[in-house]
Amino acid sequence: MIKLISKQHALGLLVLISAINLTACVEVRAWEKGYLAKDEMAWKTDVLEDALAKHIFFSKEASSGSSNAAGGGCGCN
Amino acid sequence: MTNRYSKSLLALSSTALTLSSLTHADAPPPQSTASIKSTNYQEDDLLSNEVLFGELSRYDIDVHQFQLITPVSRNSSFQINGSYDSLSGASPWFTTADAEGEPIVNLSGASGIYDERRELSVGGSYYFENDTLSASAGRSAENDYTATFVNVGLAHELKNKLTTISLNASVSNDDIFPTDANKFNRIERASKRSVSTALSVSHIINQFSTYQTAISVTNQKGFLSDPYKLRDIRPDTKSQYAWTNSFRLFLDEADAALHLNYRLYHDDFGIGSHTVDFAWHQNLTTSLPIDFRIVPSIRYYTQSSANFFTNIDDFSSNPLMPQSSDYRLAAFGAISGGINIIANINSWRITLGAERYQAKSKYSSYNVSKPSTALVRFSRFSLGFDFSY
Amino acid sequence: MTTTKRLIGLLVFFAFSSALGTEEGELAPDFTLPSIYENQPVITLGNLKGKTVYIDFWASWCAPCLRSMPLYNDLYSRYKDQGLEILAINVDNPIEDGLDFLADTPLDFLVPSDIDGEISELFGVIGMPSSYLVDADGSVRLVHMGFRDGDLETIESAIQASLAAH
Repeated sequence: MIKLISKQHALGLLVLISAINLTACVEVRAWEKGYLAKDEMAWKTDVLEDALAKHIFFSKEASSGSSNAAGGGCGCN
Repeated sequence: MTNRYSKSLLALSSTALTLSSLTHADAPPPQSTASIKSTNYQEDDLLSNEVLFGELSRYDIDVHQFQLITPVSRNSSFQINGSYDSLSGASPWFTTADAEGEPIVNLSGASGIYDERRELSVGGSYYFENDTLSASAGRSAENDYTATFVNVGLAHELKNKLTTISLNASVSNDDIFPTDANKFNRIERASKRSVSTALSVSHIINQFSTYQTAISVTNQKGFLSDPYKLRDIRPDTKSQYAWTNSFRLFLDEADAALHLNYRLYHDDFGIGSHTVDFAWHQNLTTSLPIDFRIVPSIRYYTQSSANFFTNIDDFSSNPLMPQSSDYRLAAFGAISGGINIIANINSWRITLGAERYQAKSKYSSYNVSKPSTALVRFSRFSLGFDFSY
Repeated sequence: MTTTKRLIGLLVFFAFSSALGTEEGELAPDFTLPSIYENQPVITLGNLKGKTVYIDFWASWCAPCLRSMPLYNDLYSRYKDQGLEILAINVDNPIEDGLDFLADTPLDFLVPSDIDGEISELFGVIGMPSSYLVDADGSVRLVHMGFRDGDLETIESAIQASLAAH
């Protein structure tokens, strides 16, 4: 039978809870975003690298899915 | 004038390279950026005791990617992406039991496989005051496979200028037409459709950190089996769910950024997975008008097996019952580590990268009742150039 | 129908109420800031009464800001004799980041430093860059956010109108 909360799912929950705790913080003003504007702080610092890594892992592993909807497929999986 | 002066020019050009900015009003990129990247990755050969017959060498793949992003007007930008892959080697064909009853893999014929893949997509974005609407369409073609896809997305920045909500949807229509279909009694032509949607929320936590969480759902319908395997029967629908979390933290004292990502995945083939990756973006300031960044990264992945996975093909079973010995449907774990060295020189960015990936049954955090004998190990090397103008 | 109208009204209200800071038609708040350069006198908005003052909040990490600065140099050289003053308020912290840019792109107009963000707060700046065109009588003629293609023309014609008004 399916266990509702496995050890793995508990780990996931822990990550979520700590993330929510972190968000309960001070408001950042427009002139205080200098650090966040650095390109090493972007979600994707290298778009081609990100696309290729996704493609390779997609072809070697069963999982897919990210913050974007999945793009085109390939005969690799 | 001291060497200090060039650093803000670097800032100007490097900001142009970064698309997803949370820091100023949504606007087209201030400059055009052209990028190319060449990558070689090679799967390790299987050991001769792992293979009954056929090739020992697995895939050797070269990938060449290209991207151009350019502002078109005060409210819009255009982008084009291309990729060319060439692939040679062999892939698992079927699995049997050896004299001791242990699973053993058989790779595809001695002549091996040679294939090419070409992908081209074009897209654009329109920037409203607080919203960005994006759309793209593309096509990927191989000797035996084509995929045609469209993607639309809407990003909305809340009035607090701290939170961005994005919605994405994509559809891909794929056709497969295996080579030597008659000779090997393979299906001649089949197709599948994938529909995917994703919702994400990005939030600025404080001056130094941001967090993004997203949920994506993908539904596939059609021929989902591998026509090249001697016996591979999978259900003709599949639903995939992924929950991703990303965290970025800038450490001022270290002049470095920490990237942490976690993904929880589940699908109705019975596969669940966890992916954790971690990267450290260390800036190195020199007295030259060049800035370096070193980015070591590590990734851990583990998945459970599909309900119908077997590591020894059963040719006597009902041919309608789902069954597959594809190693990607086995329970396993994978550890990979890599390093990227980035140099920023005026309007140029040069990136040199290396990665080592190793999948093993013993790395799995899930129960492995049927270990696959065909798990991959590969090394990857890449060189990329970005130019802003 | 009425519900929809109310909802739209509410949305419109929220859209416009976001500008809690300095708005067009209001008097610009007075302030005094140090110059970003050492050994330069402090800068007080009130002392510039009688002139058209273009106030721009900028940072070295903001790409559109960096693009606008050389263009403002050009604007300044064309209109300073008619009574235009430009205050490019830098919000970099550390201040050296702003000075790095200025070493490469010298600006001909005044560059105050608002390192603590107090004056940015006073104006209610919500995005980078943000600018405020202040008429000779001290009232705000134009509030502008961002810097895209075509924005310079909008700003220039407002400056011309302001200069012509006194």
